[in-house]
Amino acid sequence: MTPVMLGLIGIAVFFVLILLRMPIAYAMALVGFVGFSLLVNPQAGFSMVARELYSTFSSYSLSVIAMFVWMGFLAYYSGIGSRLYVFAYKLVGHRPGGLAMATQVACAAFGAICGSNTATAATMGAIALPEMKKYQYDDSMATASVAAGGVLGVLIPPSVIFIVYGMSTEQSIGQLFIAGIIPGLLLMLMYIATIRLLTLRNPNLGPAGPKAGWRERWQALRGGLGEVLAVFALSMGGLFAGWFTPTEAGAVGAAGVLLVALLGRHLNWEGLKSSLLDATRTTAMIMLLVAGAVIFGRFMAVSRLPFELANWTAALAMPPWAVMALILLIYLILGCFIDALALILLTIPIFYPIVVGNLGYDPIWFGVITVLVVAMGVITPPVGMNVFIIKGVAPDVPLETIFKGIWPFLGAIIVCLAILIAFPGISTWLPNLLR
Amino acid sequence: MKYLTALVQGFSRVLDRIAGVCLFAIMFLVVLNIITRGIFNHPIAGTYDYVNLLTAAAIGLALAYCAFQDGHIAVSFVMEKLPPKMQAVIDLLINSLGLVFWALAAWFTAGYARSLTANNMVSATSEVPLSPVVYLITLGLVGLGLVLLLRIIESWKRMIS
Repeated sequence: MTPVMLGLIGIAVFFVLILLRMPIAYAMALVGFVGFSLLVNPQAGFSMVARELYSTFSSYSLSVIAMFVWMGFLAYYSGIGSRLYVFAYKLVGHRPGGLAMATQVACAAFGAICGSNTATAATMGAIALPEMKKYQYDDSMATASVAAGGVLGVLIPPSVIFIVYGMSTEQSIGQLFIAGIIPGLLLMLMYIATIRLLTLRNPNLGPAGPKAGWRERWQALRGGLGEVLAVFALSMGGLFAGWFTPTEAGAVGAAGVLLVALLGRHLNWEGLKSSLLDATRTTAMIMLLVAGAVIFGRFMAVSRLPFELANWTAALAMPPWAVMALILLIYLILGCFIDALALILLTIPIFYPIVVGNLGYDPIWFGVITVLVVAMGVITPPVGMNVFIIKGVAPDVPLETIFKGIWPFLGAIIVCLAILIAFPGISTWLPNLLR
Repeated sequence: MKYLTALVQGFSRVLDRIAGVCLFAIMFLVVLNIITRGIFNHPIAGTYDYVNLLTAAAIGLALAYCAFQDGHIAVSFVMEKLPPKMQAVIDLLINSLGLVFWALAAWFTAGYARSLTANNMVSATSEVPLSPVVYLITLGLVGLGLVLLLRIIESWKRMIS
């Protein structure tokens, strides 16, 4: 059997194992180890696993993931998410669908101090859903808008997926962070437009709430957005000003949220403890995925599958945009079944050399596009992580109802994606300006 | 069974608490280093090494409790459609496969730690021995194995009930 054939069989076995409910990280590590051992030898396989586990866990650059994840949980436990939401709904809550629009603004702002889309969805779900229920929003509209809003947390920096993409491709994490800002804001506006259109057609989807005066709005602004702006300016501003590295920015961000929370007396001992324990759990999950992908990547490298695939694509008589479209379609399909982070880790070693090396696309632009495409997977059936999280927050709403409401938001993401593909400058202009 | 569950939960939770302390220490150390570097032009020597080692310890030690809380992402939409007995059988097989793999990984990680000790491997700048952290990762993998053992017993019980 040729190494390439073994690589293909390895991928098939990986899919069988994850469909049989083996955690994705375990399946990647196990298949990676067995494949590597068959192609090299078992002794080399075991020492590779031990070495890669240690080197991934002790990676200085990846330590930032733990910090950005903790930052998000600190913001949740200190009620920053809740204060952000209050500000957003005092601003637009009086319009039809206003609470759902407010959720998008709050998700985008929360994304600026949180690295994980699931944490953004969980935080906003817990805060926004009870409010929307109070104002008799349609269940489908309420739950789907929060699940979709979580995607904003992926694009708006800091973002764990961008860090992992940057690490896998040796691209600047700072540049990727900047590149995500405008597409993130664009997507937020697309969501708001979608909600507006939906409520214009059927106002019962999101009845208008009470209107707040400018004085109330100003007070809410100081409470919620002020804290976020201060922390964002400190961690991201200091990073772009060159005061500290991207890795250090995570620790500065976590310290900033902790300081804001302690000064405002919004965090007690229990909250601090819970934030740390939630952060260790989430970080362990992410880092075992990364380690599993690294081990799987070793197997892929010795099987020579990525190189053969790159050669095969180069020999295809297809224009670059058609190859790109094919790759995005593969991402879209796989994204329905595999977690966004795992998908990036699994596929970047295979597709990145083709897209950037063979086809000559911009690596930062490809990062933004890939991250957005895989992020769609967190709200598409049958495995939409954000939808499951929202289901956890609103157990009385059936999964089908949430997925039914997701379609218009998916449409908004696809339009946003088309705009980003048609006008690559939207993603690359800001990083080039600040380079 | 109750005792075993309590034992595995207690053990993995203790490891997780230590991981939490490590995370706090990383934040504290990095921020202190930035302040002393920026204001006093005097960075804390070895911060890079300490952050690496603390991160490795935090992640290794948090693996087991994450597994205990079913925190490692899995896809369950296919399995949910199968009859409960068949689910139990497949869970038993899959968890056994996982247990064998992670137990072997723990064994070889301990071997890697021993080789680091034998070769006196230390960190690049502060010259801290590397092997204790690798032993902590081994401990985390042992915890992960214990959680999988617990899941195997649970699947077995579901299978024969």
